Amino acid sequence: MNYRALNHEDIEVFSEAISAFFLNMTHEPAVVRTAYLLDGTASPLWGDFNGVIDVSGGFRGSITFSAPHGMLSQVLQAIGEREHSVDRCLDVVGEIANMMSGRARRHFGEELAISPPSARLRTVPPAAARATGVPFAIPLRWHAHEANLVVHLDIRR
Amino acid sequence: MKARLLIVDDSMVIRNLIARQMLDERLPPIDLVGLAGDGEQALAIAMSRKPDFITMDLTMPNMDGEACIERLAEVLPGARIMVVSALSDKTTALRAISKGAHGFLHKPFSEEQLVAALLELMS
Repeated sequence: MNYRALNHEDIEVFSEAISAFFLNMTHEPAVVRTAYLLDGTASPLWGDFNGVIDVSGGFRGSITFSAPHGMLSQVLQAIGEREHSVDRCLDVVGEIANMMSGRARRHFGEELAISPPSARLRTVPPAAARATGVPFAIPLRWHAHEANLVVHLDIRR
Repeated sequence: MKARLLIVDDSMVIRNLIARQMLDERLPPIDLVGLAGDGEQALAIAMSRKPDFITMDLTMPNMDGEACIERLAEVLPGARIMVVSALSDKTTALRAISKGAHGFLHKPFSEEQLVAALLELMS
């Protein structure tokens, strides 16, 4: 089976998804920085909380939203959630990854099958099927907090 | 009489967010009859509490939203169901509507979009 790596247009979809999430849900935009390749020399920059969506159906890999506790507490506050516990942070980091994957599906088409989110504290859940291409990191800043969307995806040709 | 609403989503944060919006003064009085984290829970609550309106996520563990909508259309045909999902492609929306959903709200949504969608569902 032949797969291709993500191109610039594909990556742009994820940057737009980040912007749409923060603007719609918190009414405050995030600063989305330029995506870069997470090659062997760059560390994955995992934050306190990591929400992962596995993708399949002509695609292989995962989409991970990784954020510090401070950012997720402020996101929860912005959307009116009173409880900022570890469980709520795990919930919201998974949901953010889910929303970004959903936006990607609009771009890639319905063949992109998306799993329910899994989320972990200080570790990253293993992907069901790892992509072989080099992952991209899309860094963002919101309320003085730094987070990353890491897209590790192969697309069937 | 208050409108009876069931909220179905595997995210508690999203369930709570929708539940809080029920108090918006633009909406008619709403009685929250249940919160469900997957399709199986939703079916059990729907059978016992008979909601008039249901907000339904699609990507959930155990029983997904599409399968749940199909079952609800059989066992509770009078209930009006609005899909609230990150799966925002047209095919998914049309498939959900063909199974028995009455509306579709894409995540991420603003409070304004949620209230407008609930008003439309309840009109």
